[in-house]
Amino acid sequence: MQTLEIIWTFFKIGVISFGGGWSVVGIIKNDVVPRWVSETDFRAMIAIAQSTPGPIALNAATMIGWNHGGFFSALAATISVVTFPVMAIAATTLLAKRVRLRGDALQESLRTGSLAMIAMTLWTLRPDSADPLVLAFGLAAFVTGAFTKVNALWVILGSGLIDAVAGPAIRSLLGI
Amino acid sequence: MEQTKKPTPLSLFWAIAQINTVTLGGGYVIVPVMASTFEKRGWMSEGDFFDIFAKAQAFPGPLALSTAILSSQKLCGTKGAVAAFFGVILPPFIALILVSGVIGSIGSLPAVKRFLEGAGAVVPGIVAAMLWKTASKRKWTLAKAIETIVVTVALVLFPSLSLPILLAAIAALYGIEVLCKRSK
Repeated sequence: MQTLEIIWTFFKIGVISFGGGWSVVGIIKNDVVPRWVSETDFRAMIAIAQSTPGPIALNAATMIGWNHGGFFSALAATISVVTFPVMAIAATTLLAKRVRLRGDALQESLRTGSLAMIAMTLWTLRPDSADPLVLAFGLAAFVTGAFTKVNALWVILGSGLIDAVAGPAIRSLLGI
Repeated sequence: MEQTKKPTPLSLFWAIAQINTVTLGGGYVIVPVMASTFEKRGWMSEGDFFDIFAKAQAFPGPLALSTAILSSQKLCGTKGAVAAFFGVILPPFIALILVSGVIGSIGSLPAVKRFLEGAGAVVPGIVAAMLWKTASKRKWTLAKAIETIVVTVALVLFPSLSLPILLAAIAALYGIEVLCKRSK
């Protein structure tokens, strides 16, 4: 049963999806590439997940599910990825008076965990081709993301449009 | 001004659903918009909202989801939490089904293919920028740097064990933090 596999995979992803959407992208990739989507498709999906409304992990789950088996797989993936987070919130609310965790210590350890997850995401999604256009788009995204407040959406759409309209012309100019 | 107004679960659902329909860019973009909306409607001050946001970061799951659930739970209990859940989940789900449907039918056109490839090429750059920003905001010590590197290397070397590695690492690091604080 492939739907069951989707449910289990995205449930597991939900368990460790703390620290903001991008930290979990590498983990999603390890689980679904190349089993359900190709490397190139996965990168495109993440770009779309970031430029559509909603949290990125949730959007990625919906899209990968859809790609794999249509509406019901999309629904199953989406619900599965939030099952554990919702259970965690409910459990904390119920147990809050009995269990006392040191909030500051927990946050420090989560910070280390999510930084490591982002670093791993960067490693597993490092540019996979020497195409100068691909490298230039990546560099542009890093510079705007790290040093300006421009929404990543514009770099995503801009790079897509440049490649769609002028990609072949630029590549033939560079002699590739 | 004291916050005296109380939202109904339905008004919470609509407010959160609207924000999640028009705000692009994930949790870090959605949360500030939610904070200002809640304050404008007199439900909760931005200060209180960001206190909840800080707490939400300790939970797994999308930040927009945990922040919305926790703040709505404070405002109108379990019903509020359920309203927030659907407010966050439904708009992106519908949007993504539509987008995936469109891509499914035109995705094989060469220009669309190039668009998607160009857009996908941006992804490593965005991740690198996230890493840069998160790392430069942190107060580093030698111990924290070593811990972070060890966990990263473990994740890179054993991709299929990421779940146990992370759970063990977080539990161990939590224990270390607590012990260090106690010995001071």
